[in-house]
Amino acid sequence: MFRYLMILGLTLFLPGLYALGYSVYQGPSAWMVDSQTFWGTPISLFVFWIGLAHAGTLLSAIFLALDIKLDRRTALIAELSTLVSLVFAGIFPLMHLGVIDNFYMVAPFLDARGNFANVRSPLVWDFCCIAVYALLSLLFFGVHLKSREIPALDKYRKPLAWLLFPLVLWVHTIVSLDFAATFVPQWRGAFFPVYFIAGAILSGLALVNLLICAEGYRVRLLERLQLICTWILCAIWIWDLILKGYFCTSAFIFAGVLPQLRMVSVIREHRLGRIFFSVSILVGLFLERYYLVSPTAASATFGRIDLGLVAFSVGGFMLLFFGIRRYLNRNMEGAGSYFGEVDGTDLAEAEQEEFEKENFTGVRGIQKLRKGFYMQPWSSEEYRILRFPLLVGFAAAVLFSVWVWSQSVFANVDLSIANVIPLLYPIVAVVTAFTLCVRAYFVEKSFDMTRREKTLCVVLLVLAAACLGTFFAGGSSEKSAKVLDSQPIGVDTPVSQNHARLVWNARCATCHGTDGRFNEKFVREFYPVPQKLDLQRLDSLGADSLVKVILNGRNNMNAYAGRLTPEEALGLVNYMRTLAEMLSENAAPESVKEGEK
Amino acid sequence: MGMDRREFIKSCSLVAVMGLLFGCRKSAVLGDIASQLSVPELKRFEDEVKLAMSQAKKSLDLVKVPTPGALKIPGASTLNRFGMAIDLDACDGCGKCILACNLENNVPLVPEEDAARGRFMHWVDMRGGAPFMCAHCGNAPCERVCPTGAANHTPDGLSAMMYKRCTGSRFCGANCPVQARKFNFNDAQKLGLARQFNREVPLRDKGVMEKCSLCLHRLQNDRLEFKTSLTVGTAAEEWRGRGVKTACAEACPKNAIVFGNWLDDKSPLVQLTKNRVLYAPCELAALDPSVVFMRGRR
Repeated sequence: MFRYLMILGLTLFLPGLYALGYSVYQGPSAWMVDSQTFWGTPISLFVFWIGLAHAGTLLSAIFLALDIKLDRRTALIAELSTLVSLVFAGIFPLMHLGVIDNFYMVAPFLDARGNFANVRSPLVWDFCCIAVYALLSLLFFGVHLKSREIPALDKYRKPLAWLLFPLVLWVHTIVSLDFAATFVPQWRGAFFPVYFIAGAILSGLALVNLLICAEGYRVRLLERLQLICTWILCAIWIWDLILKGYFCTSAFIFAGVLPQLRMVSVIREHRLGRIFFSVSILVGLFLERYYLVSPTAASATFGRIDLGLVAFSVGGFMLLFFGIRRYLNRNMEGAGSYFGEVDGTDLAEAEQEEFEKENFTGVRGIQKLRKGFYMQPWSSEEYRILRFPLLVGFAAAVLFSVWVWSQSVFANVDLSIANVIPLLYPIVAVVTAFTLCVRAYFVEKSFDMTRREKTLCVVLLVLAAACLGTFFAGGSSEKSAKVLDSQPIGVDTPVSQNHARLVWNARCATCHGTDGRFNEKFVREFYPVPQKLDLQRLDSLGADSLVKVILNGRNNMNAYAGRLTPEEALGLVNYMRTLAEMLSENAAPESVKEGEK
Repeated sequence: MGMDRREFIKSCSLVAVMGLLFGCRKSAVLGDIASQLSVPELKRFEDEVKLAMSQAKKSLDLVKVPTPGALKIPGASTLNRFGMAIDLDACDGCGKCILACNLENNVPLVPEEDAARGRFMHWVDMRGGAPFMCAHCGNAPCERVCPTGAANHTPDGLSAMMYKRCTGSRFCGANCPVQARKFNFNDAQKLGLARQFNREVPLRDKGVMEKCSLCLHRLQNDRLEFKTSLTVGTAAEEWRGRGVKTACAEACPKNAIVFGNWLDDKSPLVQLTKNRVLYAPCELAALDPSVVFMRGRR
């Protein structure tokens, strides 16, 4: 079964890969771009896949946190589908960029030049939230897999679920703000976060139901939830229609009307019927995303590259998901206990039990009265595990706010600290999860890692370090092909000191400062930090090479060859020396005083 | 339990090697290739302007606005706020400003399929028979959503672009209510569509946004000249940008485009708009635009 699905995925994936390669090579003109918003298929696909990615966390983490019963294999399938969807949700915004090399500039992270991302932009919030979400989902899946072997880990699942619960809502709220924070009339509306979360939950449920069909069983709870979600979404669509006068009719039919056929028992009881509901909802939601991102797409047409991108993500998902499933089935010890029915919870029985319980308590599935007593939230086990890491997380978030606040960018640009708020929860979550891992490593005696897992951890750490390094180093701002010529400049008659001073103040002082110390405020805000021009450094470089640097440019220093004559450049070098001498004379008495003390 | 020494050293050296490899990057040497390619003739730029003029865009809904005052953003200058006023009574829509702007700012040509779709790179558009460009809004929505800070406001009231910091997310373009921003979909230098008429303005790479800069380079040159002519250390007079004109204002045969400093009473902009009624597109009226239209006497 998985093999055929993989082959189907591969046949979609390979032409899709061509489309992806072509789009990366050609840039944003390759696919259909809306003439009004400059956005197109990749962003539709991004919103679509990030919605699908909510399946796992929603079903597994939120159900776990709320004590709603879900058997292990459904939870694992959902979590795995989250991870695989996130891979594709991450690819599309990246490939959508005009200059893909510069993607790291979106991270709210100081680079070597003192540049800082504009934290007012929802895109920055997006970047952080999704990165943290992917990280925590991976951790959650890993802990779930391991907890079968090491029962001590099982008690860490619930704290993690509580961390993921707000994050999943947070992520989709932020994604909706990408749209709702703009001036595009079709995207206005305070209900956007609710709308996006409802859409995400629906698409996630549809995906999980589809995957469960592929595994060959069904979970009625999820099917019912899916139906209820279509009602919520229909209500929002009708609201939108009344508010703005138009909406996506095809989405309403596919994701709103057709799934109502579940009320007909003949269709509901047939497997093809259930597949039909899920596929119909997914198609409808994709059309809706597509309509949402490109509201005035009439001028452009949905071309073969766009189709290719859709095929790439769908095929890639199938290939990766079923590939991992096959791999786990073959190579993992006791895969049956993870993904099979050996779990011990026979579904028919479980549902029967649930039904009986419902008659007793009136609350389906929620085991509030487990073991006959009510647990105080502050004395529960998950709170005791979570409280210290959470404290560390909050401390980190506060530290981040203070650090961001002290950035010079904030002094001059109209940025309020309120703009940092969307970043705070992801920071809390990632730091808390990290502390939780450290705690598990040190506290749990039975916790032991195999050699392979240790290597994996090291590799991940190295990757994280490499990412941070990339962000910090940044790119070169001058792609200059000019090479410093080896010939001497051949000028030994500099311009007068006075002329040099005028040129210095006009051309150089903006960055290097009138007194030779760099103009910190300006430089930190707009430009890379220049070299300090102290006497030692000037002496070690020599006048000739300094003249060449001025004329030809170097690293981030612009070339002034057309704007300054070599005589002026030499004059500037002499003037630099004078400034440096003055600075060192000014500095000298202080150091003498310190020496006396 | 834990990591033994051997493994620790191994992983440390891995990190170090990664760092070293990272430092060894060399940026691509492409600058010279572009300059060797053929450059398009001036005739093609003229023809493209004519083509753009023939594809008239629908006119803007204008509403009355007050005279722009000092910027309300932190760090803004209280002396300078540059802007323009376009005299709709004088303008006859000849389109000379478009060509002048293109040549001044090295605006590239577009391939034929883009031209057929009306996707030009021109910073100045003809909307309803009058030129229209970025309004340099005081409260610019494009700058608010730019993730990297490539779109930012100068203290002098220009909505500026840092091309090297632009990552091409096109969020600013999506958030501009009048679509004044142009995206470099094509590598104009590689396709032989760009020509550097003006050495002072860089050619833009593929994948970055661009738009009217209010001839920032002219202002900067004037500022530098002003600073150079002053004796160092004495701030006798502040720079007000007097005598600068944008390329479009210079090219206009009817003098319908007036450039100046909204905060300087001696500026031609303030003097010529004194008795006129100012208008702005209704989408921008609430965003404090610096570039406005004027029509009728008050």
